[in-house]
Amino acid sequence: MKRFINSWTGIFIVFILLYFLKGFLPPAFLTEVVIFSIYAMGCSFLIGRLGLTSFGQPAFLAFGAYGAGVYLYYFGTNSYVAILVGVLASLVINMLVGTFLVRLNSSYFTLCNQAFCVVTFFIFQKALVKWTFGDNGLLLISRMDPTPVIDLTSPRGIYLFSFIIAILVWLFFNYLMKKSVFGATCLCVKDNEEKLRFLGYKTFNIKWLAFVIANTVAGLAGALYTVYFCMVNANIANVSSASEAVAISMLGGAGTLFGPLVGSFIFIGLKDIVSRFISHWEVLVGFLLIVVMLAGEKGIVGSLESYLAKRKAKKSMMQPALTKEGGL
Amino acid sequence: MIQMNIQLIISAIVLGLSMSGVYFLLTVGLSLCYGLMRMISLDQFFYYALGAYMVYTITSLTGSFLLGALGAMLTTLVVAFVVERLINKRVYSKPVMFSMILTFGVNLMGVGLIKYVWGLTPKPVASPIGGSLNILGTSVPGYRIFVILLAVLVYLAVQYFLNKTILGTAIRAGIDDAEKVKALGINISRLFTVTFVLSSVLSALAGVIHAPFVMVSPEMGMSITAFAFMVVIIGGLGSIKGTMVSALIVGQVVSLGALIWAPLAEMAPFLVMIFILLIKPTGLYGSKLMNR
Repeated sequence: MKRFINSWTGIFIVFILLYFLKGFLPPAFLTEVVIFSIYAMGCSFLIGRLGLTSFGQPAFLAFGAYGAGVYLYYFGTNSYVAILVGVLASLVINMLVGTFLVRLNSSYFTLCNQAFCVVTFFIFQKALVKWTFGDNGLLLISRMDPTPVIDLTSPRGIYLFSFIIAILVWLFFNYLMKKSVFGATCLCVKDNEEKLRFLGYKTFNIKWLAFVIANTVAGLAGALYTVYFCMVNANIANVSSASEAVAISMLGGAGTLFGPLVGSFIFIGLKDIVSRFISHWEVLVGFLLIVVMLAGEKGIVGSLESYLAKRKAKKSMMQPALTKEGGL
Repeated sequence: MIQMNIQLIISAIVLGLSMSGVYFLLTVGLSLCYGLMRMISLDQFFYYALGAYMVYTITSLTGSFLLGALGAMLTTLVVAFVVERLINKRVYSKPVMFSMILTFGVNLMGVGLIKYVWGLTPKPVASPIGGSLNILGTSVPGYRIFVILLAVLVYLAVQYFLNKTILGTAIRAGIDDAEKVKALGINISRLFTVTFVLSSVLSALAGVIHAPFVMVSPEMGMSITAFAFMVVIIGGLGSIKGTMVSALIVGQVVSLGALIWAPLAEMAPFLVMIFILLIKPTGLYGSKLMNR
C-alpha cells in the first residue's frame, strides 16, 4: 500500500505543479511540453532501459501524425477517432518495422533506424506527394468538429486532454519500469543480452515488444500533435529533429519516469528563449548534447534519484551502527 | 529509341560511379573510426559540409578550385584535431551509444555554426573541369570522370597506407586488437588522433568534390546521411573493401533507380540494405568480430 501511494504522490505533485504553472506560463508552451514529454518517453525508455539509441524517432512520430491527419482529411471529422486511428496505424507499422530492426545489434540498429527515418521522410515528402501534399502538408483547420466531453479544438481542451494522456502514459511506464517482470528483463537486455538468452529468454521477443510499445507512444504523441496544430506536413519526419528526442531523454535522464518531462520543460523553454536571440537553435541542442554526454549519462532526474538513493542507503547504514555503539 | 535508352543508361552509370566515389570518400572515415576506436563518428557529416563551404569561399575569393580544395582540407584538419583532442577522446572507452550521441551533438553544433556564418541560401560552386568525354556515342562531363579517378586513387592510397606503411600497419593491428597494440608500447591515443583526422580530411574531400554537383547548403550533410549509413551498413562496419564495394552498389542503385521512377532513388538503396541485412546481419564484409 505504501509503495502504491509513493508512485501516485509523485505523479500527483507533478499534476498539481503543472496545473498551477498554467497561471504563470503560456498554455501553448505547456501543451507543447506535455506532448513532447509523451514523445520523449518512448525514446527515453529505449535508451535507458533497453540500450537502443533511436535516432529515427521522428519517423514513428510521423506515422501517428499522418494516421490522424489522413483520417481527418479524407474520412471523418472526429478528433478522438483521429487519435485512435493514428495510434493504431503506428502500432501496425511498428510491429512490421520492429521485426526487421530489432534483429540487429545496437550500432546497426541506430544506423538503420536513422536511415529508415530519412526514407520515411522521402516517402511522405515525395513518393506519396499526391496524398500527403509533401511540404505543404494536410491542413485540417476547418475539418475538425468540436468533440464532446473535452473540446479538442480549443487550446484549453487539448491541454487538458494531452495532460490526461500524459498521466496515463506515466502510470503505464511506472508500472512497466518499476513493477513488471517485463521491465526487469528489458534492463537485463541492456546489461547482458547473452546471459539472458542463456537463461532461456527469447531476447528478440522482449526487444520487439519494448520497441513496439515505445514507438507506439511516440505515434500517440504524433497524433496529438496533429490535433493540436491542426496540420501535418512532411517536416515532422525530418531527420535533423531526431536529435530533439534524444537530447531531451539524455538531459532529463534516460530511463527515468520524470526525466522526459523535466527534459522537455528545460529544452523547449531554452529553445523559446534562445530563438529570440539566435535564429539557429541547433547550436544549443548540439552544445547541450555534448555537455550532458561529457558530464555523465544520468541526466538531471537520474542524478537526483541516485543522490536520494545514496542518502537513503547511508541513513539506513547509520541506524544500526548508532544503536550498537550507543551513540557517537 | 533504343539508341536513346543506351545513352541514358551510360550516363546514368557514369553518374552512379561518380556518386560512388563521393560515398566512398565520406564513408571510409566512418568505417575506419568504427574499426579502430569502436565509435560511430556522426560528425563526419559536419566535416563534409565544412569542406564544401570552404571550397565555395576560397574558390569564389581566389578563383582556384585546387587552392580551395587544399584550404578546405587544411581547415578540416585543424578543426577535426581540436574536436578530437577536446571532446571525442573522452568517450572512446565508453559504449558506442555515447560516441554516437556526442558526435551527433558536434554535428548539430557545426551545422548551426555553418548556418550562422554562411546563411541559409544555397551556394553554387563552378565545376573546375569543363569539357566532356565521348563514351560509346554518349557525351559525359569530364568532371565526373575526374571524380571517379580521384576516388580510385584515394582507395589505392588508403590501401597502400594501411598495408605498406608502419603507421598504417599499427592502425590495422589496432583494429584487430587495441589492447595488444597498447602492450607493444605504441601510443594508441596518438593513433586514434591520426585516424580521426585522416577520416575527417577524407570526408572534407568528399564535400569538396561533391560541391560542384549540388548546391552547397547547410543541410547537405543531413541529406547525405542516409546514403552514407546505407553504404556503411551494406559493406559492413570497419571494412575498407566492403565500403568500396557497397559504395559501388549504392551509387548504381541510386542512379539507375532514378531512371525508372524518381522517388525510387531514395528508397531502392534502403530495400537493397534490408535484403542484404536479412541474409547477412553484419553486412557484406563485416566480420563476426565487429559484431559487438
